[in-house]
Amino acid sequence: MLKPTKMTRVVIAGSKDIMETTISTLHRLNALHITDYTEEMKEFKIGRPLKPASKFSEYLLSLRAISNQLGVTGKEPVSKKSAKELAAQFDEKITKLQKEVSSRFEELRSIEFKIKEKEDIISSVKPFFGLPLSMDSYHGYDTLKVYTGYIGNNFEEKLSKITKNYELFTGEYEKRKIFALFVPKALEGDIQKLLQEEYTYVELKVPHLKGNPPVILDELTKEVSALKEKQAAIKSELENIKNEYSEFVLAADEYLSAETQKAEAPLKFATSPNAFIIDGWVPSRRFGEIESGLAESTRGLAYLARIEEEAKEEEIPIELENPALAKPFELLIDTFATPKYKEIDPASVIFITFPLFYAIMLGDVGYGIIVAAMAMVIKNKFKTGGLNALALILFLSAILSILFGFIFGEFFGFPIFNVEVKGEMEHGILGIAGPVIAGMHLPIHRFGEVQVLLLMTLFIGIFHIFLGLIIGFRNITVEHGLKHAVYEKGSWMMILVGGVTVIAKLMPSLMSRTPLQTGDPVFIIGMGLALIGMVLLIKGEGFISILELPTLLSNVLSYSRILAIGLSSAGIALAVNTMSMNLFIRPGGVLLGGGIGLALVGVVILFIGHLINLLLGILGPGLHSLRLQYVEFFTKFYEGGGKKYAPFGYNKKYTEE
Amino acid sequence: MVDASVVDPALVAANAKGMIAIGAGIAVGLAGIGAALGEQAIGAAAVGAMAEDEKFFGKGLLMTVIPESIAIFGLVVALILLFVF
Repeated sequence: MLKPTKMTRVVIAGSKDIMETTISTLHRLNALHITDYTEEMKEFKIGRPLKPASKFSEYLLSLRAISNQLGVTGKEPVSKKSAKELAAQFDEKITKLQKEVSSRFEELRSIEFKIKEKEDIISSVKPFFGLPLSMDSYHGYDTLKVYTGYIGNNFEEKLSKITKNYELFTGEYEKRKIFALFVPKALEGDIQKLLQEEYTYVELKVPHLKGNPPVILDELTKEVSALKEKQAAIKSELENIKNEYSEFVLAADEYLSAETQKAEAPLKFATSPNAFIIDGWVPSRRFGEIESGLAESTRGLAYLARIEEEAKEEEIPIELENPALAKPFELLIDTFATPKYKEIDPASVIFITFPLFYAIMLGDVGYGIIVAAMAMVIKNKFKTGGLNALALILFLSAILSILFGFIFGEFFGFPIFNVEVKGEMEHGILGIAGPVIAGMHLPIHRFGEVQVLLLMTLFIGIFHIFLGLIIGFRNITVEHGLKHAVYEKGSWMMILVGGVTVIAKLMPSLMSRTPLQTGDPVFIIGMGLALIGMVLLIKGEGFISILELPTLLSNVLSYSRILAIGLSSAGIALAVNTMSMNLFIRPGGVLLGGGIGLALVGVVILFIGHLINLLLGILGPGLHSLRLQYVEFFTKFYEGGGKKYAPFGYNKKYTEE
Repeated sequence: MVDASVVDPALVAANAKGMIAIGAGIAVGLAGIGAALGEQAIGAAAVGAMAEDEKFFGKGLLMTVIPESIAIFGLVVALILLFVF
């Protein structure tokens, strides 16, 4: 919690004949983050991949091609396959699969090509349905020129002005006029010119076919449907292959990926002709595993040393360590940046503040229940990965939203309890007055108590920012010493506290337009604190840092979004409810007063309105709560820039040793 | 000439209230336009980044809401106008 996992640097050395054993032991343990060896020295060069590497990658390549063609997708494994059995099979199986799949795919492609070809011919024959000629009568003349195409209405008139020596056929296709014109070759030039000037003319090419268009079309359609049948047959064959082999493909993919990883591992090592050195990091609690694992598998031949010497902070890989409930929030940290080794990992702080801000913004029992249910559905659908983490975050936030919905007394925007707003009584769903819990009269109506809530959000902001500064103070103390921490963060704390005190004293007198009590000791202390803070800041960061002072104010004001987003969401819900209830469902206070039709309109408005508001209610509070963490909170302490811990190994899903 | 003593005090109060409402409206409206101008550029860039790599979706969405602060400041000013004065 709060700090990344403690890491130990390990160097492993040995002679080359135990290299393979060492690699497979490390791979199985899945604990060592290997630092790439990059500097080439005379004695030590970057290692070469083990022999099977190229063979494995070839297999992997053809396997992935097959898996792509078949469309195999990762799914939960039924049972794990034994790696040994797999290794014995895949040579034969992959070759067989490749043959079967690729030959079918080629066939499929040629069929698709043929279908396309036939369909093209069909569409070019179709227009000639409009003309009473067989397809071969358009071709094969020595002295005649044939023109075909679409044309406007008074073409024949214009044509007859040029010559009487022609034969014209016209017809209609899809409401356009189609024509075929036969003229002696001698007239070619004139006709060409006429057609060029005729803007309605669109040329149609006559396909080289024999017979009447309907007969041709009939034949072609038959051919196409035969091809389509064949296509479907091949597709179902491929589907069968996919069902039969998809488990094998997934398992083999995993096996080959892991083996390739092993075979390529020496690329990260420093090797001499006879020896190798591996440099890396291991979580300190797992050091023993590596030590005993290697001792066992190499019978003590591998030399292993723990390096205590201080390393550069950026070189240490980071594994975040948090309690199970706060674990999903690491996703939000990683989206921003991975912390450095000595920095505070804020995941467990965000675990509290993110859902809190979200809940105050959403603050509705009804929406909370729906969002929680949705989060559960997503969580059950995606067992691992980012979406699972996101669903957990959403679930926690939604549960807290239900609580705040109770405090605010809102259920889909309807009041839960009877409440008095601006002198008017609002009747709640339960029809009773809110309970009193710990001296607090529930509900706190969001529209009625804007001032109180606004003040509350600003206090949340001040507290949150101050927390950020405290963490920043600690980070800088660890990294650069106490003096720097006082200059950089202590100064801001003083300015924040002092400034808040001054404003708290200033505002009431501004509001009531009474002169300020400058003699008030609290005011003087606050003023003094802020001034000392400013002096420290200027001393530490230079005069230019004065320009940053207003950002503190805007940071604090930014927290008013907690109220603002909440109000807009509650406002939309209220508007939807008022509209559908007062206008359609209960016009004039009478249920179904406007008839069943209008009431149905009201129900539709109610449903769509709340659906939209719910979507906004997930997106808005989520993003704005996150933004408060990233922009207002993290900037006070977080630098990031750490390298993620990526242990050498493979999380096996489909295979086992 | 309007005699000041003739003016109905209720009318003056209503007038003042209307002015406050108009002021609040202007605050929200102009702040909204400002935020929109900011979001426009960021949104376009975010969509561009997403076209290159879909992983930018989350970051892009987050970047896009950053200028929304301005709109919220406007809303806060409006709320103060409406509820405090």
